[in-house]
Amino acid sequence: MRLPIPFLALLLAAQPLCAETLKINGSTTVNLPAAEAAEILRAEQKLDIQVDTQGGSSGGISMLGDGLVQIGMLSKHVNDDDRAKFPNVKFNEIQIGEDAVAIIVSKDVWDGGVHALTQQQIKDIYESRITNWKDVGGKSQRIAFFNKEPGRGTWEVFAHWAYGNPKAAPQVSFPEVGGNEETRNKVSSTRGALSQLSSSWADGKKVFALGIKLDDGTVVEPTNENIANKKYPLSRSLLLLTNGEPAGVAKTYVEFMLSDRGQELVKKHGYMRLKDLAK
Amino acid sequence: MTRALSWIFSLVALAAVGLLAGIFAWQSLPVWHHEGWSYLTGVKWFFRQKQFGALPMIYGTVVVAAIALVLAAPLGFGAAICTAEYLPRRTRLAVKVLIEMLAGVPSVVYGLLGILLLRDWIYDAFAKFEPLSGDTLLTAGVLLAVMILPTIVTLSDDALRGVPAAQRRAARGLGLTRAETILSIAIPQAKRGLGAALLLALGRALGETIAVFLVVGRQDNNVPERWLSLRAWLDAGQTITSKLGGSETNIAYGDPVHWGAMVGLALILLVMTGGVTLLGTGFGKRSDA
Repeated sequence: MRLPIPFLALLLAAQPLCAETLKINGSTTVNLPAAEAAEILRAEQKLDIQVDTQGGSSGGISMLGDGLVQIGMLSKHVNDDDRAKFPNVKFNEIQIGEDAVAIIVSKDVWDGGVHALTQQQIKDIYESRITNWKDVGGKSQRIAFFNKEPGRGTWEVFAHWAYGNPKAAPQVSFPEVGGNEETRNKVSSTRGALSQLSSSWADGKKVFALGIKLDDGTVVEPTNENIANKKYPLSRSLLLLTNGEPAGVAKTYVEFMLSDRGQELVKKHGYMRLKDLAK
Repeated sequence: MTRALSWIFSLVALAAVGLLAGIFAWQSLPVWHHEGWSYLTGVKWFFRQKQFGALPMIYGTVVVAAIALVLAAPLGFGAAICTAEYLPRRTRLAVKVLIEMLAGVPSVVYGLLGILLLRDWIYDAFAKFEPLSGDTLLTAGVLLAVMILPTIVTLSDDALRGVPAAQRRAARGLGLTRAETILSIAIPQAKRGLGAALLLALGRALGETIAVFLVVGRQDNNVPERWLSLRAWLDAGQTITSKLGGSETNIAYGDPVHWGAMVGLALILLVMTGGVTLLGTGFGKRSDA
């Protein structure tokens, strides 16, 4: 009978520790540096941090809204609909970097001579007015478009660029892809494939990033320089999202991401650091 | 005492199912108000335009399950006849253990195998019909066939072994060959059990989520212009489970009509699998006498 008392004491002692578990959820794009930062903080400061990527950016917003996580990872901004859904939540966006969305194709399309598309051509493909690569300067091959599933930051950036507003984008039915890995694998293993992908994932070996041909005929590639000086049109902010000002472990985590070491992780995964943007 | 307890627990189980169906029905009310019957018969699902037609998902679910059943049933029955009627007892048990192990492999493992092997195989084998990618309804169907095969084999084997040995001996004594004994004695007597095996496998095929999700392509609104056209099978499609497992559930939350539409899909699926399972259990139990 002596057992329960130390046991209870242990439970009580464990209580504040459990409450300190920092849960993070959201975009797979932000996840790359965010998960590595969590790894470092776990090892160095013994903090309990769980990082997950359920449902992309929208998953991050809704789980933060429901109070299931303390930090959301976002590759798009919180919009008015989100605020209306969670009126009691004070969404607080903290930018940690910048990333571009590349329009990527499979190797056979790249080798077939398609290296850049205009905005109009991409819209025509999206609305199925163009369904063969030969109409945009490639070999005769049906275009296999993989659309990013709804709720993904990548898709929102694409729709924002092509149609001004994600809500104005026409409703289309294409096979859908989720995270960045899935997109890259499916595009690389399919002939005539096209999709939207975070540009840091476009490795130029399995999948190839197309340039965007502007109205004056110049082609803009998604290089870091073009993203930083905003010449490349499809770019987006990478954000951490908190409910009000971050506190406790969340504050430590956010500060780490904004420190030089955290920013190095952002760069390591192919994204732009905040100070690169300021230039 | 035992009797009372068993009543109580049966009632608890029944209440749980009833509660589940009740909650689903209640939560999906907004979409029935919004769409009416066209929720079931509509062929367009565009959630930003507030159009919710579930038919393409029902079509996908039915097609995928049907492909699986058509492929797995002959193989499964054949394998069961082999194990139950031809193999010596010890070999039979060894084979049965292996097959039951296959039935226990987590479905995500099958899904990964599907991505690794089946996608590319379908993509190349049907290249003549120019599928846009290897993610098709057919791929999902073939993968499901592999997944439900062990269920069919092991349940059919049990059904065949349930036929008394004395009847077989009598048939052999009357001069029937072994094959004739199987065809005209064992199979007719076991037919309810065999039917139940199929229906239970079908129930599993209808509800399977992750493996299908990985290879079906998740393309909304794939409904053929003619119902019997097979071309749609080589396009990416959507099943009820792949829709529910996707990202839309996160987006739907908070919007009553959209959320109702997602829960409504769950309700449709529950009715489908529940119906098939009930039919399967009832089918197996009734005696043939």
